[in-house]
Amino acid sequence: MTFPTIFSITEDEIDLNDLLAKITLTSTGAAALFTGMVRGLTTRNAAHETEYLEYEAYIPMAEAKMKQVAEEIRAKWPVVEGIAIVQRIGKLYPKTPTVLIACTAAHRDTGVFEAARYGIDRLKEIVPIWKKEFSPDGEFWVEGEYIPKAGE
Amino acid sequence: MNRVKLLFFATLRDRAGTKSMELDVPSDLTVQGLKHKISHEYPTLKDSMKSVLVTINREYAFDEAVIPPDAELAMFPPVSGG
Repeated sequence: MTFPTIFSITEDEIDLNDLLAKITLTSTGAAALFTGMVRGLTTRNAAHETEYLEYEAYIPMAEAKMKQVAEEIRAKWPVVEGIAIVQRIGKLYPKTPTVLIACTAAHRDTGVFEAARYGIDRLKEIVPIWKKEFSPDGEFWVEGEYIPKAGE
Repeated sequence: MNRVKLLFFATLRDRAGTKSMELDVPSDLTVQGLKHKISHEYPTLKDSMKSVLVTINREYAFDEAVIPPDAELAMFPPVSGG
């Protein structure tokens, strides 16, 4: 049986139910699904409000790196069945889901939670996507900190 | 000389004022050499060269890498997706 792997950059709404259905097999009994959304009010560290975020991606490279993240997940957790990695780009407002990482497996105690966690952490390290924040105080690019190593 | 395409994203695109450019570069030019060239020829990008990430044909590339003919290069800051 081939396990489904979905990875994409889209300007459309992320349909969580549809993606979950696509990575659910007859042998699946557990799914760990992470989604991140635009936070309108930040209280941790530098407290501020966000009107909206504008996302952009280096699309062909981003999709190739998402595929790489999925391959890394499969190497670390061979029991993972389906994997979906989706990033929405464009102008996105508070409460809107912007990213989805979902992994399915036969059972919940297989590492499926850790696999999804690994997926979002790696996306934030190596997948070429950026966001610009628009707040009442002005606009600025959000920049990450991770410097990829050779072979990443 | 090699003809290459250079793409800019995020802060680099804003500072360059363009999404992409075509360049003729020496056939032995390295990524480090490219950063020097851009710093000299495009002063608005000079400060960005310290922390810039560079890719060659959609893979991360490092200072010693030699740029191949017809390469698709990109320059951008550390990523911030999610």
